[in-house]
Amino acid sequence: MKSFDETHIEKLLNAKHEALLHVYTLGRFNITLDHQEISDNWGRDKAIQLFQFFVISRNRMALHKEVIIDRLWEEKGTDQHFKVALHEIKKILEPKGSSKTTAKYIQRQGSSYKLNMENIWLDSQVFKSLVELANNVIGQADELAILAYQEAVRLYQGIFLPNRIYEDWTSSERDHLQLLALNAYVSLSELLLQEQANESIRLTEEALNIDPTWEEAYRIQMKAHMANGNRPQAMRCFDKCKQVLDKEFGIEPLPATSLLYKRIKTT
Amino acid sequence: MSKNDQTASFLLRFTQKIYEDEKGNTDLQWRGKITHVQDNDQKNFSELKDVIDFIQGKLSELTMSSMEEDMSPKDKEGILMKSMDIWKKLAKSYPKMVADVIKDPKGQVLQIQEQITSKAEDLSNRLQLESYKPTSKSDIHELSNQISQLTNLVGTLQKKVDKIDRKLGKS
Repeated sequence: MKSFDETHIEKLLNAKHEALLHVYTLGRFNITLDHQEISDNWGRDKAIQLFQFFVISRNRMALHKEVIIDRLWEEKGTDQHFKVALHEIKKILEPKGSSKTTAKYIQRQGSSYKLNMENIWLDSQVFKSLVELANNVIGQADELAILAYQEAVRLYQGIFLPNRIYEDWTSSERDHLQLLALNAYVSLSELLLQEQANESIRLTEEALNIDPTWEEAYRIQMKAHMANGNRPQAMRCFDKCKQVLDKEFGIEPLPATSLLYKRIKTT
Repeated sequence: MSKNDQTASFLLRFTQKIYEDEKGNTDLQWRGKITHVQDNDQKNFSELKDVIDFIQGKLSELTMSSMEEDMSPKDKEGILMKSMDIWKKLAKSYPKMVADVIKDPKGQVLQIQEQITSKAEDLSNRLQLESYKPTSKSDIHELSNQISQLTNLVGTLQKKVDKIDRKLGKS
């Protein structure tokens, strides 16, 4: 009999087949509706921004349109701007539906709006759930944790909404997802250290591409090189870590890293 | 000029490292990264002085870029000094505030919670929310919900701090 966590991961992985609308936000912004890419059909950039704003606010209460207008259009915004952008989203997402019917993807509550996530598959949402699940089962069910982390890092194709890095309403979500990705890469690389040292090295490299100062990734990489019998490479890895930490923070590696280096040196 | 041209947003990330030194004593180190959102410029830091310098630099750039070209050098200098003055006042108290959080996180969270509760009560008294006519009932309801959510969030934060506190106590 399958455990609760196994059933949960299966559900997460199968959810994509059940939803008609797929939204990709990691490393790109792309939408498919019933397997048809629709990203090129957007007219105004503000309509895209509005949709992305709904994506970011999906777990909050429905947002009043004035809050949305203030955030996206600032003081120049009017009700009309909002209506036009919203109409454009509905036209693209629900081409056959009347604008007066209950929206399938955007829910309205009075003057407040939010995404109806029941009908939407969102890569960043699934990514978060997979990492959370893996973090919960690590140590008790490592095989399941490995599977969840692997699926999560497969989804993490890059930073959240890369074309919006200069917009402050996207920063917090991007940073949160990036930290989860670092956590996933490092935890997975540690779990695979003994059985798949090369894969472990590749994963730590991915983590260091995101943040070259992530010291834990250097430690695991040093161990993975040792597992491969490559002592010189393990020592070079420590040198790189030391240089980066000195350059970026003006600090020495943590005692755990220096101790590991000493052990490698005397092996 | 739009509000965006007049805004500087900063994202601060702190990472704590709790470790044992060679003598077996537990120690703590903070590492951080600050990002200026509008140009995605980033800086790693281990001392708050670097954060202050980074923010000060970005705010000065913002003030300089907002000044009209035909303004006299004296006027430009005056505005820049005023801009710096505001930041200097904040910069004086900010490191103390962060240092206090690091030294006594629980106390600081309690203080924040008290401040929010007191502000919420004050706001509620002053606005007399239920009889506030120009705003719709749904807005009042939403505002009340948000204040209550905020108070809950601070409560959750306090529990987390308690947990960290217990962990630190054990180690």
